[in-house]
Amino acid sequence: MHRFQLSQQMIVSVIFVLLFAGLSLLLPGFANTENLLTLLQNVAILGILGLGMAVIVIGRGVDLSMIASLAIPVALTLQLADAGHSTALAIIAGLALSALFGAANGWLIAYAEVPPLFVTLASGLFLAGLGQAFLFSTEAVVWPEPLQFLSAIGRGRLAGIPNSIWIFALVAVAVHAFLSRLTAGVFTYSMGDNPMAARLAGIPVRIMVIVQYVSSALIATLAGFVMAASVGSMSTRIYNSTWIYDVILVVVLGGIGLSGGRGSVTNVLIGTLLIGTLLNGLTILDVSFPVQNLIKGFVLLAAIMADTVLNPRNEETAQQGDI
Amino acid sequence: MTHEPTQPVVSLRQAVVRYGGSAAIDGIDFDLRAGEVHALLGENGAGKSTLTKVMAGVVHLSEGEMLVDGAPVSPSTPKDALALGIAMVFQETSLVPTMTVAQNLYLGQERAFNRLRGINIAAQQFLQSLNFDVNPTVTVAMLGAAKRQMVEIARAVLHNVRVIIFDEPTATLTPEEKQHFFKLVKNLKARGVSVIFISHALEEALMIADRITVLRDARHVLTEATGRLDRETIIKAMIGRDLSQSFYGHRRGDTDAVRPEGRRLLSVQNLRMAGVVKNTSFSVFAGQVTGVFGLVGAGRTETFKVVAGALKRNFLHGGEVVLNGRPVRYRTPAPAIRDGIAYITEDRKVEGFFETMTPPRNIHVGKLARSWRSQPLAPKREERQLGETWRTALNIKAVSGDVKVIELSGGNQQKVVIAKSLVQDPDLIIFDEPTRGVDVGAIAEIHEIINRLADAGKGVVVISSYLPEILALSDRILVARQGKIVEEFSAGEADEKKIMYAAIH
Repeated sequence: MHRFQLSQQMIVSVIFVLLFAGLSLLLPGFANTENLLTLLQNVAILGILGLGMAVIVIGRGVDLSMIASLAIPVALTLQLADAGHSTALAIIAGLALSALFGAANGWLIAYAEVPPLFVTLASGLFLAGLGQAFLFSTEAVVWPEPLQFLSAIGRGRLAGIPNSIWIFALVAVAVHAFLSRLTAGVFTYSMGDNPMAARLAGIPVRIMVIVQYVSSALIATLAGFVMAASVGSMSTRIYNSTWIYDVILVVVLGGIGLSGGRGSVTNVLIGTLLIGTLLNGLTILDVSFPVQNLIKGFVLLAAIMADTVLNPRNEETAQQGDI
Repeated sequence: MTHEPTQPVVSLRQAVVRYGGSAAIDGIDFDLRAGEVHALLGENGAGKSTLTKVMAGVVHLSEGEMLVDGAPVSPSTPKDALALGIAMVFQETSLVPTMTVAQNLYLGQERAFNRLRGINIAAQQFLQSLNFDVNPTVTVAMLGAAKRQMVEIARAVLHNVRVIIFDEPTATLTPEEKQHFFKLVKNLKARGVSVIFISHALEEALMIADRITVLRDARHVLTEATGRLDRETIIKAMIGRDLSQSFYGHRRGDTDAVRPEGRRLLSVQNLRMAGVVKNTSFSVFAGQVTGVFGLVGAGRTETFKVVAGALKRNFLHGGEVVLNGRPVRYRTPAPAIRDGIAYITEDRKVEGFFETMTPPRNIHVGKLARSWRSQPLAPKREERQLGETWRTALNIKAVSGDVKVIELSGGNQQKVVIAKSLVQDPDLIIFDEPTRGVDVGAIAEIHEIINRLADAGKGVVVISSYLPEILALSDRILVARQGKIVEEFSAGEADEKKIMYAAIH
């Protein structure tokens, strides 16, 4: 198994290096520092979302509601701050909504025992609909004056590197520490490897599911803050995009098996870099957006096929609704 | 009931099937005559299922040959076997639950355009000709176990089979349904169909079979007309091992002292769970090994999974579980583990170990599952130390430090699962089939571990379907039958015959 996983990571790394070298040689504007920073900046938010998704997927789940937790809690914070409430209250309200939402996801999966695919599909729709129908009067909520002090998380640079890249790096370090140093991280791998054995061993499986979905919701909300700060507003229509598939693409492409229990932060970083490079190259080549989608779809399909071959799901521990 | 010894419909000659190193059946000769009902008896693991699966094309012979009407054949799939006229009705039925009875009957024989009315009428006529009271337009999911079985039989007859194999057909039936089933078997026989009937229920076999074959430890013991057999002879044939060839030569009490009962660790009163555990009561004492024997379906695993919190007893009238004088009711295994109960599963691959992890990490997970409340960090150093400690303590042989559990031998996997539980420092350790799929050398070592735990004052329960294992390990023996502990023996008074008598209904 170990050798297999290494090989998937290696295949993707080799593809990345080849692609990078090819683009550097062929495209004049590609291999300069400024373009590479732009490349990274463009995928930083996707990468943060991928890190949140990685925690879930390693625990043998999936969170399709991440885009909703990216948009709605952030928009709530922006709107409250704009309406004159204290910034602390606004931020706490956004984070609380996000945490509550993640806990509800986890509760439905752990206690009501509905497969995560369906829970998060429905809950994402619910949260997005709730926001669009009742909370916000406009489609885009602008970054309000009282929150200017926070806008540095999405704008500006530190030591010549855009701040959003720094945030991506910080989240990567935090998620890595969670997965490899904390007891909760060991439990996450155990649950993904064999949920029944995890339960029988005495792992608090249900609590852990809630912890995982709360953390993915909070990570998504953090990504939302970074995004809103960088563009100056939060569009609540973003939920209607196909972005969540990009997040799954990053995770699967990097080699985190959808069958759970395998992979690490490294895999997300590789997946993110590969997608970033690909999209950047296509943009420089002036490939149209629909054609980019076509290529992404093809890559996602290839990655999932490779995943199915390299990380076969264990039929004996598989459950209905697993992806 | 005597039959002329005509040409057998199906026969096996010197049949051998090996899984890995061990033989599931070893040099068996078997004849099935036309129009006879032939019962196959034997303990769990005697080779009954394997023998019939060979005929049904599910399992393939390693050596020997299979003859149909005297001509050698080797069916490689159930479909091949069906073409030869052999069908097997499995314990889990192979019907499509969302389709109607009629659709199931004609499954695989549909034409491009099916008239539903047409197949309904045909099915109705066909079922009536068999005297089966089943409505062909009902979906199979709506039917009970007995009616599903009828549909399976009807489908087999529809395919013009000459041999039908039943694996434990009566296990899920009520008494009235059983009577009906026996009538069906007679009906089949009258049509000239041969029936093979695997069962644990001796009385049923004596009642409906023309001939009985007993298997034991993968070998053929006897085949005889039912009229010349009685209960006594059959039980003797089922258990009469030549123990001199096995290292289970002794029973506890012959060579070593029987351990006295310590304090009462666990007391279970009137436990009930979902029709599988039926009003059972027993106790487990510290400082000795309590063996639990029973045949498949006796509810042993379920009983002890309730004790360990892996299953829930009935909400109402579920009975009582008292641990150390305190009534307990667990919803999940975690609190049971905190109270010192360890359940070591019979199926280590499905719910025992974490296959992508190394042995030390598996053991570390066990430790963390007990101590996570006070231990937020999981240091790698602790993992290595635990791995090293338990590798030495239980003699776990791993090829190298970072080899995955799945790549170890069965015995070493089992030791890892045991270590994963023992690291939680339990007081009551329940071993469910601790030596299933384990090589001979490791069996002795695992028995040694079990004895050491009892000597150290722990309460140890060993659930096993293998009588010699029960006899070799237990200071006290409980016998389960149909969801209930029905007998209790001390090591001194128990023998194979008494236990088997208690276990068979």
